Amino acid sequence: MKDIFTDFYNTILGFFRQTEKKEENAKDVACNRLRVVLMQDRTNLTPELLQRMRQELIDLLSKYVEMDKDALELNFDQEGGQMALMLSIPVLRAKDEAEIEAEEEKTEADEEESDEEIESEADLPEAEETEEDSENETDDPEKEASEPSDADETEQTKEIEK
Amino acid sequence: MQLCVEPNQSQAKEIKGETMSGRVIVITSGKGGVGKTTTNANIGTALARAGKKVVMIDTDLGLRNLDLLLGLENRIVYTIVDVVEGRCKLKQALVKDKKNPNLCLLAAAQTRDKSAVTEEQLKDICEELKKDFDFILVDCPAGIEQGFQNAVAGASEAIVVTTPEMSAVRDADRIIGLLEAKEEIKSYKLLINRVRPNLIKSNDMMSVEDVVEILSADLIGIIPEDTGIITSTNKGEPIVNDEKSLAGQAYKNVARRIIGEEVPFLNLEEDTSVLAKVKKFFSGLMGKEK
Repeated sequence: MKDIFTDFYNTILGFFRQTEKKEENAKDVACNRLRVVLMQDRTNLTPELLQRMRQELIDLLSKYVEMDKDALELNFDQEGGQMALMLSIPVLRAKDEAEIEAEEEKTEADEEESDEEIESEADLPEAEETEEDSENETDDPEKEASEPSDADETEQTKEIEK
Repeated sequence: MQLCVEPNQSQAKEIKGETMSGRVIVITSGKGGVGKTTTNANIGTALARAGKKVVMIDTDLGLRNLDLLLGLENRIVYTIVDVVEGRCKLKQALVKDKKNPNLCLLAAAQTRDKSAVTEEQLKDICEELKKDFDFILVDCPAGIEQGFQNAVAGASEAIVVTTPEMSAVRDADRIIGLLEAKEEIKSYKLLINRVRPNLIKSNDMMSVEDVVEILSADLIGIIPEDTGIITSTNKGEPIVNDEKSLAGQAYKNVARRIIGEEVPFLNLEEDTSVLAKVKKFFSGLMGKEK
């Protein structure tokens, strides 16, 4: 009789331990999902816009640093009543001035086109175009060479207050 | 003996001295089924038990339930729609509670829809009731449509009811956004209902702190999940009348906080749920074995 009880007890306890061990428990998942969904509700920031913002940030920052674009994280965090946008960028290496200047020249050349684009913010096709832009950038042979180098040398976190 | 008499006298003075200007509090949630009506019935009853004159308005036209929770369903003669359409005077439509003469209900019409009463009409009714009552509790229907707009129209305070579930918290956030946009609403407080300490302990449910942090709102009450709510609803007897109930105690504390007392939140850690009892029982057995 006691054995049955002991077994039952261990099963219950094991169940609880198991749930505790999980990296992300149900509570944390709920909190994180809620934060994202509330940010969207409160600001009307749709997933499309978020994706676009992410892409534009990548475009801007890749002028100065080389980063692991796939590992880049864009999340919402809340401190008190303030929503914060947390951007975590795994930086591979910083660019030197010559490279930055080269980037600048390139963007100046593109500027006339993009000026028109910025004015019509709501247009979806624009988002696609910016994505294409970045793809062109990744095609840069110099970058591709250095990309497989040891990743996550430095992790930089940038906070942009809402 | 003297000690007993003095507070009573001062209380009487307070009621007589003030020309009544009642506080109108809307109880709302966005999501349905989180316990708005239960909260309304219990806070109302607790306030009345504390000697306050309380009237509850059910604005859930077509889906009235507050009368059931109070056990007053057989006493309703006139409804809020009868008042608005001039078939009776406001005072005639107020149904007195069975036990507590301080407590009244203005019932919703069951056969009409939300358009039968306008925001202006509800405002007027609240203004009228303010003269005779300390507290006017408005039971808001679920949703954010006209029914919500009506219920909020006459109120200057709000209690947002939520549970530690994602959908309820999301809807509460939406409601808070709408309340903040309303000039008439001077303050709103959060009431977290159906809290299950054992689920929170095992990290399966968001904690009270999580919900408060996410919504960043002031807390006025934490109500534990209590099966007694079901029986109390079935009997038409608010759970605050059950002295043994933990949820009843929590509602009484909410009422005291509304009046202005500082009451610490109940410690729900001492879990009385069945699962906890089972666990306790088995851990006791294990202890003996060793």
